[in-house]
Amino acid sequence: MKAGLDMKLNQNISRLLFLGIETVLFGLVYFFLVFEDMISIFAVLAAMVLLSIAINRIPSLNRVVKEGFSHSKIPCIVYGILFVLAMPILFKDKPYHIFILFNTGLFAVLGLGLNWQIGSTNIVNFASAASFAAGAYASALLAIHAGLSFWILLPVSGLVAAAIGFILGLPCMKTKTYYLSLVTMAFTIIVYLLLNNMDWTGGPDGISGIPFPQIGSHSFGSPISLFGWSLPYQANFYYLIVFVVGITFFVDRRFRYSRLGLAWNAIRNDEIAAACQGIDVTYNKVLSFCANFFFDGIAGAIFAFSMGYISPESFSFNVSVTVVTIVIVGGLDNAAGVILGALLMILIPEKLQVFQNYRMLIFGLIIIVMLLVRPKGLFPQTIRKYE
Amino acid sequence: MAQLIEQLTFALMLSSTYTLISVGFALFFGAINIIHFSHGDVAILGAFFGIILYGVFGLTRVFGAIPSWIVTPIVFVVTCLLIGFLGTFFERTVIKPFRKSPLLMVLVATIALGIVIREVVRLFYPQGSNPQVFPKLLPQTIYGVGHLVLRLDHILIFLISLLLIVAMFFMINKTRIGMAIRAVSQDIEAANLMGINSDIVIAVTFMIGSILAGLAGLLIGSYQTLVRFDMGLMLGIKGFSAAVVGGLGSIYGAIAGSIVLGFVESLVCAYVPGGTPYKDVFAFVIVIFFLVFKPSGILGKTMPVRI
Repeated sequence: MKAGLDMKLNQNISRLLFLGIETVLFGLVYFFLVFEDMISIFAVLAAMVLLSIAINRIPSLNRVVKEGFSHSKIPCIVYGILFVLAMPILFKDKPYHIFILFNTGLFAVLGLGLNWQIGSTNIVNFASAASFAAGAYASALLAIHAGLSFWILLPVSGLVAAAIGFILGLPCMKTKTYYLSLVTMAFTIIVYLLLNNMDWTGGPDGISGIPFPQIGSHSFGSPISLFGWSLPYQANFYYLIVFVVGITFFVDRRFRYSRLGLAWNAIRNDEIAAACQGIDVTYNKVLSFCANFFFDGIAGAIFAFSMGYISPESFSFNVSVTVVTIVIVGGLDNAAGVILGALLMILIPEKLQVFQNYRMLIFGLIIIVMLLVRPKGLFPQTIRKYE
Repeated sequence: MAQLIEQLTFALMLSSTYTLISVGFALFFGAINIIHFSHGDVAILGAFFGIILYGVFGLTRVFGAIPSWIVTPIVFVVTCLLIGFLGTFFERTVIKPFRKSPLLMVLVATIALGIVIREVVRLFYPQGSNPQVFPKLLPQTIYGVGHLVLRLDHILIFLISLLLIVAMFFMINKTRIGMAIRAVSQDIEAANLMGINSDIVIAVTFMIGSILAGLAGLLIGSYQTLVRFDMGLMLGIKGFSAAVVGGLGSIYGAIAGSIVLGFVESLVCAYVPGGTPYKDVFAFVIVIFFLVFKPSGILGKTMPVRI
């Protein structure tokens, strides 16, 4: 009886602790965005590093966090979702911060998609920029020339990108390791050069005049007003991308805990052994290409419509590198880690706008340091649990 | 006919500069099975070192003009040595810690190193974002025979590259350290057991590769007359592609691959109408075709899969 009570008490404490850590995390993100002077920003960064070190190094804290989450998943998730939804309200006078968070969400979708390849299947794909471009250009061209609405174009651009993923996936099946990476790099550069040189994609000037999406009579270009509150128009896209990140995250769960995810992991560990187990290696690999490109394409469409203007510069090889590092830094084959990786790799360089010019330099240095310090990513994949 | 010969000399020159870079990729992959993705940026760093050194010589001009046949070799040698040491330094700091990690890690680490090199040049070189005029290190004489126009600097670039490649072959095949490099690339553990210090050998390999890359940077600067901080990315991918088309890990293969890429590019420029903006597209489509239909490359051996 006493032991049972103790456990109950422990559970409650760990539950509260987890909620507390969640609050601290969101608080840090909030203050990180709000602060303008370098000293406070670095203080927040240091606090983040300390928090992650504490959780990783102190075993009892680590256990409490894990238990707190597994005991009360629903309250923790609801609490987290509430925070995410409240972000634009906190930033209602600072549209640029909402825009940064929107950008983070965009890259989180790209990262989650790529995670099915690099993380789950061990296909080191550098074509994220190409699939992102495919979605953006497909939706922009169809919106301007065919006048289709955003909500039809969202799945359509995903399908166009998935078809391109299929076409790229087939030759990739003949290659492995570095060779496969080179095929995807070559493809990204070919797409970039074609976008820059062809007439119907607008060349280096790109495409402009993409209309804002609409729900009913509410245009995404106008502010949200609810009960006398008014949120800047960027909040529309923020909520849209939060929704898409949620769906991608959910799909990731479904993949991971199904035969498909298991097959992908088997291919990652040993392709020949997987084939001997009766797994259709080619089919599964091509499927991972298509799934990745589908979500990249959707992200591309959202990007095109939120900017109203796209040009090849947004789809250079650096985008692919950013997405790959998001996956590695966040943690291979770990969806929550990838989202945190996106926060880290997009927010930090954005926030270093004060150093404006030094942004890319710092970005490169962060990648090298992260790889040296935590080669397995912030949150390494965990062993599957089957109960 | 005259046009064809001109195009062929141009293609040879282009191939020889690609060779200098792709041989580096072949050496590194042969030695420790890694891709040093910022190799192209190391090369462009060489071009910038060349500009700076030439500027330093310009300052000493107050003591009287130094003839260019003295300045050019000094600039070449000093730049190559500096880049050689820098390459070894990069190997120690960025590549060595990942020697036992999955291939993805070293690939991304070197890509990040490339970003850092590019940004350092852009930020710390005066007006680094703009294209920089490369000094005329090589003589600009033009020979005209009938309709045929040949440029001395193109021929010199080809000859210098040839000389260095031959020197490298001599070093790899005939000297003690070359034997050690070959031993390490065959089996690093066995080489260690034979008393070869593989750390030093790998450092020397990176030095040789980087010296060649630095030379490539100088030569590319000489014929393009303008260099930009971000040229290294494309150059690196081209060098990597050439090494793969020829067969990754084989030095002869790297040469063959560079010749294929160089000829495709210059011939597309010359003979495909409106093809100049698409020359890289053609080159990379050919790379993809090679990877798909002959992944072992022109001269590479097909590797049996070990289970």
